[in-house]
Amino acid sequence: MIFDIYSPETVTEKAKTLFKHERAKKRLDGWFIAKEKELEIYDSLSEYDEEVKKALILKEIVKDIPLELDDNQIFAGTQDDSFARSYALINPSFKVEEFAGYCDPAAVFGDIVPNDEFTEERIQRAKAEFSKTEYAQKLSAVYSKSESYTKEVIYFFEQVTGHLIADFRFALRHGLKALIDEMKDKEGNGFKAFVIALEAACDLAARYEKLAREKAETLPEPQKSQFTLMADTLKKVPYNGAENLYEAIQSFLLMWQMMCLEQAPNPFAFSVGNADRIFEPYRNGLSRDETAALLKHFLVFFNVADRSWAISQNIIVSGRDVDGNDLTNPTTYALLDAYYDMNLSQPILSVKFHKNTPEKLYRELGRFFFSPGVLTPSMFNDDALFETLGSHGIDKEDLPDISIAGCQEPLIMGKDNANTTNSWFNLPKILEITLTGGYSLITGEKLADVPKASLENIREEFYKNVKFFAHEMAKSANGASEAISTQRVPFLSCFMGGQNNGIDARDIHKQGTKYNGSGCLIHGTSVVADSFSAIDKLLSERPQDADKLIPALKANFEGYEELHEFLLGADKFGNNIEKVDNEAGEIASKVADIVANEKNYLGNPFRPDFSTPSTHLLYGYWVGATPDGRSSRDMLNYGVDPLYGSAENGLGFRVLSNMKMPFEKFNGGYASHLGVDPKYFKGETYEEKGLEFRDKIVNPLFFNPLKQGVSPFYLYVNVTTAEILRKVLAEPERYAPSGVYIMRIHGTFVNFLDLSPAIQKDIIKRLDPDSTNIA
Amino acid sequence: MRILQKGFNYSQDGPGNRLVYHLQGCNFRCRWCSNPESMPIDSDAAKNVPDDEVVDEINRSRMMFFDGGGVTFTGGEPTLQADSLLYILKEAKKLGVSTAVETNGSSPRLPELSEYVDYLIVDIKQPDDGIHKKYVGHSNKTTVENLIRLSKDRDQLHVRIPMINHVNTDPEPFAELFSKMDMTNTVVEILAYHEYGKCKWTEDYTITDGFVTDGQIRAFRERLEKDSIKFVST
Repeated sequence: MIFDIYSPETVTEKAKTLFKHERAKKRLDGWFIAKEKELEIYDSLSEYDEEVKKALILKEIVKDIPLELDDNQIFAGTQDDSFARSYALINPSFKVEEFAGYCDPAAVFGDIVPNDEFTEERIQRAKAEFSKTEYAQKLSAVYSKSESYTKEVIYFFEQVTGHLIADFRFALRHGLKALIDEMKDKEGNGFKAFVIALEAACDLAARYEKLAREKAETLPEPQKSQFTLMADTLKKVPYNGAENLYEAIQSFLLMWQMMCLEQAPNPFAFSVGNADRIFEPYRNGLSRDETAALLKHFLVFFNVADRSWAISQNIIVSGRDVDGNDLTNPTTYALLDAYYDMNLSQPILSVKFHKNTPEKLYRELGRFFFSPGVLTPSMFNDDALFETLGSHGIDKEDLPDISIAGCQEPLIMGKDNANTTNSWFNLPKILEITLTGGYSLITGEKLADVPKASLENIREEFYKNVKFFAHEMAKSANGASEAISTQRVPFLSCFMGGQNNGIDARDIHKQGTKYNGSGCLIHGTSVVADSFSAIDKLLSERPQDADKLIPALKANFEGYEELHEFLLGADKFGNNIEKVDNEAGEIASKVADIVANEKNYLGNPFRPDFSTPSTHLLYGYWVGATPDGRSSRDMLNYGVDPLYGSAENGLGFRVLSNMKMPFEKFNGGYASHLGVDPKYFKGETYEEKGLEFRDKIVNPLFFNPLKQGVSPFYLYVNVTTAEILRKVLAEPERYAPSGVYIMRIHGTFVNFLDLSPAIQKDIIKRLDPDSTNIA
Repeated sequence: MRILQKGFNYSQDGPGNRLVYHLQGCNFRCRWCSNPESMPIDSDAAKNVPDDEVVDEINRSRMMFFDGGGVTFTGGEPTLQADSLLYILKEAKKLGVSTAVETNGSSPRLPELSEYVDYLIVDIKQPDDGIHKKYVGHSNKTTVENLIRLSKDRDQLHVRIPMINHVNTDPEPFAELFSKMDMTNTVVEILAYHEYGKCKWTEDYTITDGFVTDGQIRAFRERLEKDSIKFVST
């Protein structure tokens, strides 16, 4: 065991040095090598079925991909070969006005900077080859068909990679050998491909084993022992079952590496699931410090290069069983220690609370919420998730395995292919074209053939259009899913149900995973509710000015300042005003029904997800002025929250408004954020503040005895103020001497200092202190 | 009811999480007041809300009255709107909502209101009426009478003393006042002088040396604790 060689402190030191080395990496070329290999050998495999072809390609990639081991690694494995330096929001050159979505799968070739080895010519050649693939062709056909609806984002769609939670538990316990043995004699190309893909993982382990032995030979003690242990372990896992925590983590990481490599580049948001429950059975009496030390290396693995480019990889802890018993265990607390000490921007941490969550967990979480610049976990209400998912067809025995994929989408580990970010719906843009009769207020261009609605009839016409565009969106999204189904995933499928039925997780004709659906992220509920409220006020108080509304919106209220003030004075969601709050709830409810009525490629419902991962900003840029007084191109409301600046009476009122949302219909998830001023918490220690956080924030929101129906089930917070963040930006060396100041931005962590200025500004704006005042 | 501001706070103006209404208008002119905008009887910033709408809002907010919380009326001086206040307090009690009032104690109608107040907070700035008039612009006579009476009538009373240097750091007048009260069910809280509201003053702010030291507060408390006075802090 590693602790025969090093103390937990030394293991920790190594994790920290390893992370530093990782952050120093400025190039990510592995994905390109993998892609180039695939393009090179694809035609030579024409005799094989697509599934088998993909498995053989994976095997070849694993044979050739350059491998290395840092002196500080205690586990072999990397994700670096699966990601490009692409993700827009952590790219300092990102500009809201230039964002074009992730629809062009060839765009990633622009994310590699040419050098002597990867010349411009070599990159362009690969890009040209890639553009000829069936996948790229199919995708570009779907995008061009829907261009007039997507160019100003009435809706958007994307081909989903990553965003799943594979279940490695069987393989950890019994080894890939058990899976191979189970499948090798079964008929069908699926099983054949899956066995090849699993063997490829064993090949990867063998290559790392060799590398570790070579390193052991050249290094003095104690590193010799470190790499000998690594080599001996790789001889055993993942082919065989793991018997202790060190072996289990090693096995897990290599499987993860394979899963990502198979979908390179950029399989964002693959998530671990309940890590504390996955690893606790292997702890075998290790102390909290020892367990935490090993888990620190586990966490470092998820960070890719200089900005942790593999984003939204979620790890969840705690939660309950079907009878409501708490499932927190010693690994939960060790994992929290590891997170707190490392304070990395990946992987992101989530925690499931329920009525019987032990006080200890809240006490131990206090340090996360109240240490400036330290990551804060996303919070989930497991009781409400059980109800919501249980009423959407998830079997009772699967509910304890609810985990989070990516930012906040709840899925069942290993059994749920939810295609989470498949489609994106922009309600305020639909309101805009309903008001104008299909014309854009941004460009004046005709975007759709819809009749111009009268203000008196605005709701009816709006919902008609929502229905129409939901259907169009579903067709487009299904087209993207069909395109990506050409990119088979035999390795992943072994952990998503394919081991039993031989069906690829991306198959569009046969359902290989127990649960399946497609996600739809719905934007702008409160902007639309506030707009209806303003239109009502206009019609009732100043009917003579009703015909000025559209010209005022077109002019972005210039020359209509008085009318603008009048509209801004209408009731707004977020202040516990019954009518407008009910309207927001009704919009969410009706739109959720419309979306859930659409069927995906396998005939399963789309899942309404009211989250807006920075897209409230990106899509707002394409929405003209709205009747609520919001200016043209300004951001939309975040998730189901009020539009920033609209809720002025503090947290209590905001929570009461929020309670009007139909959470039972949000089976795709939703987002809500509170920027809380630390001064509201008076406890003297982190532990006391943790309990105070439970009493003032978590309990009233999640476990409110007077709440009728399903309670809210998601929240993330940043306990800070705009003033603090401005100081961090102005004097990072003073306020964030490590260069890292972790914030939450939608579901993921980010280093605040790594963000593009537009996103930094958004975070500051959305702290929206008047809406969360509790003193 | 004329409302200047509303919002929730936790365990500061009564127990648990409370919906706090700051009412417009005050009959005192405390020179250190941190909410001078609430002094005029009417103001553009205040909103006239029908009493039944306030009751409705209280009813709709019950989900947030956790940990023994409820509704609190403070000011300004809430008893200046005694009719509305009495009506709303009665209705809130009918709804089973916990009620609290923070007052300067100067209203002769306070005993009448008290019946419908679960948690009563009365401020006393200075028992010496001469000093009181000098800094507050109003006599403390009714406040003192109410304190003596209510301490005997009620099974709960929370007395607040905003402590200001040169104004009320001498514990003896307070010791004398408390000796006339029934302190069995009464708690006392000291609020140390601060200047958070100074920037809101449009007239001259005349307190120049108002901050009190920890030592002054300690000495004040220790003296009164000799008389078995119970202190709290919120």
